[in-house]
Amino acid sequence: MARRRAVAAVLTAATALSLSVSCGTTSENSGQGGGGAQESECGGPDGKYTIGMSQANVAEPYRQRMDDDIKAAAESVPQFSVEFADAQQDNAKQVSDVENFLTKQIDLLIISPNEATPLTAVVAKAYNKGIPVIVLDRKVDGDAYTTWIGADNVEIGRTAGEYVATTLLPNGGKIGEIRGLAGSTPAKERGDGFREGIEGKDIEIVQSVDGDWLREKGQSQADALFKAHPDIQVLYAHNDPMAEGAYLAAKAAGIEKNLKFIGIDGLPIPSGGLKAVEQGRLSATLIYPTGGAEAVDTAKKLLVDCQDVPKEQTLETELITIDNAATVYNEANS
Amino acid sequence: MTSEVTTKQAGAEPEPPPQQRKQRREFVNALFRFQSLFGLVAVFVVAVVFSPRHNGELLFLNADNLANVVRAMSEIGIMAVGMTFVILVGGIDLSVGAVLGLAAVGSAVLMVNDDFGVVATVVIVLAIGLFFGFLQGMASALFGIQAFIVTLAGMQIARGLARIWSGGQGVAIAYGDGPGEAPVTFSLLGERTFNGIVPIPALIFAVVAVVAIVFLRTSAFARHVYAIGGNEKAARLSGVPVTRVKVIVFCICGFLAALAGIVHAGQLNQGSPNDGFGYELDAIAAVVIGGTSLMGGRGSVVGTVAGALLLGVLNNFLGLHGVDPNVQLLVKGLVIVVAAGLQRLRPTV
Repeated sequence: MARRRAVAAVLTAATALSLSVSCGTTSENSGQGGGGAQESECGGPDGKYTIGMSQANVAEPYRQRMDDDIKAAAESVPQFSVEFADAQQDNAKQVSDVENFLTKQIDLLIISPNEATPLTAVVAKAYNKGIPVIVLDRKVDGDAYTTWIGADNVEIGRTAGEYVATTLLPNGGKIGEIRGLAGSTPAKERGDGFREGIEGKDIEIVQSVDGDWLREKGQSQADALFKAHPDIQVLYAHNDPMAEGAYLAAKAAGIEKNLKFIGIDGLPIPSGGLKAVEQGRLSATLIYPTGGAEAVDTAKKLLVDCQDVPKEQTLETELITIDNAATVYNEANS
Repeated sequence: MTSEVTTKQAGAEPEPPPQQRKQRREFVNALFRFQSLFGLVAVFVVAVVFSPRHNGELLFLNADNLANVVRAMSEIGIMAVGMTFVILVGGIDLSVGAVLGLAAVGSAVLMVNDDFGVVATVVIVLAIGLFFGFLQGMASALFGIQAFIVTLAGMQIARGLARIWSGGQGVAIAYGDGPGEAPVTFSLLGERTFNGIVPIPALIFAVVAVVAIVFLRTSAFARHVYAIGGNEKAARLSGVPVTRVKVIVFCICGFLAALAGIVHAGQLNQGSPNDGFGYELDAIAAVVIGGTSLMGGRGSVVGTVAGALLLGVLNNFLGLHGVDPNVQLLVKGLVIVVAAGLQRLRPTV
């Protein structure tokens, strides 16, 4: 995968949180696991390894892409075979998916949890059986996992805010915000980061509305937003689909030329944000890396190369504008 | 499935003498009556024969795996038992999945935010489920609105209440003695007993099933249930308190959906307002596979339990083989159609 550049894994927080932490807080480990985490043995380059990938919901393009990235990256490691499960947004189903993986005695678990708390116990169960666990994107509670790989939404929001402050509105101006699902962590973090990015500048967020991450909701909310505040110059949406929805609303009102649109995610798929920037609908997007390639890389370190990995691996974002959209898209799909 | 083959043969042969015909009819009838038991055995055998192996061990028969099957099935099973009663009187309850979500949220909020004890929480949440069923039963039986419509509305209402009560997001349950923590006892629902093998939710499901089976076999109330489902008008004319029985049946269903919600919260350590989405369809599927007629009057809890287990084994089997989730949906759909189709073939007595 050539997304290395875009998402160069910055290994932060290599905090020596030792890997052997017992999981006293969770209730479900009365099975064989019992005590603290066992050191998982490393089989080295001669072994064959089955990796189980438990995905929260492949109906979201971002998560489908994550699976695809894992599949593509694993093809270059001859020792790996990957099995995928899709929980279809149901916590209970995801628990069963992981249990099935444990029955099949997989060698390593990659999980992108639907929600943190409901998946914590079963992830701890796997970890306590000595199976290395890589948690992707959303976290679980406690520290009964091997490593977490994900991006920093506050940082992404801040980068978006700084881009608006320095490039789009250097002399100040007015912004409308379409937020992600109310109550979700990414929505809060992408909003907070953005405010940090524009702090101290003469920039005002005149109104924030909830778009629930959905394109059609973004469109209807933007419609009302533009009517209420015709003086908005920049529209910041917490993801690309909502930004695209807002663009459609502006186009219907015939005002799309007077506005700039920014989204987040930058998925390298035909319907994703990279294409939207390349084709001029969005002024910018910020890449929210899936971490799929990095997860396979980490699995290789753990199982094949017998190396230690840090407890947290934060992925860097990248600002995408018309200047680099096409290049990044092609690199990601080469 | 075995029963299908049998009927086809039976239909193809020439008419036997009356005595034999009666025996055969009873035999065929028994086959249909317990179709889900035979189906369960068939699916189980297939799962064993085609089980993935690891060092020669059949993974499907692994004790942990079998425990996983019943654990994963227990919530649907509990709801399906309640659903059986409703369907037996010719009704339907689409609200059970949403009531499960509401009950899960209620359990979490009462213990975590309001510092209620386990007993108080369970009693209140079960009462909410019961009351919800009562209202739906009244609307349906007393005012003569179709159960489908009443419970479709009930589904929206329960979901809305769950979202309002939880503030729109999952309420995590942490265990301990301090404020904002749930009593440790509640975490038992996520545990396994008997050497860490038998999941507590499976035990609860078993108790519910046994009580329901005995109740439906022995009580006068049960005879009323079957009578109403068979012919409501005739039942009313012969003195069966139709309205009361119907309302009680909805109460039972709401109560058991709430119980499943409590189990759900205990298993996942969270009350999430969006949980239980689509579970009503799984519960109805278990009842239909179990051979209970959607027209009412005919069916059994034994069949439903077998139907639920059949779905559980099927889910597990498909999951162990890593079958594409979309194909899994197709397979489950086909099983339901076949089960319902078999009931159409069932001779009327």
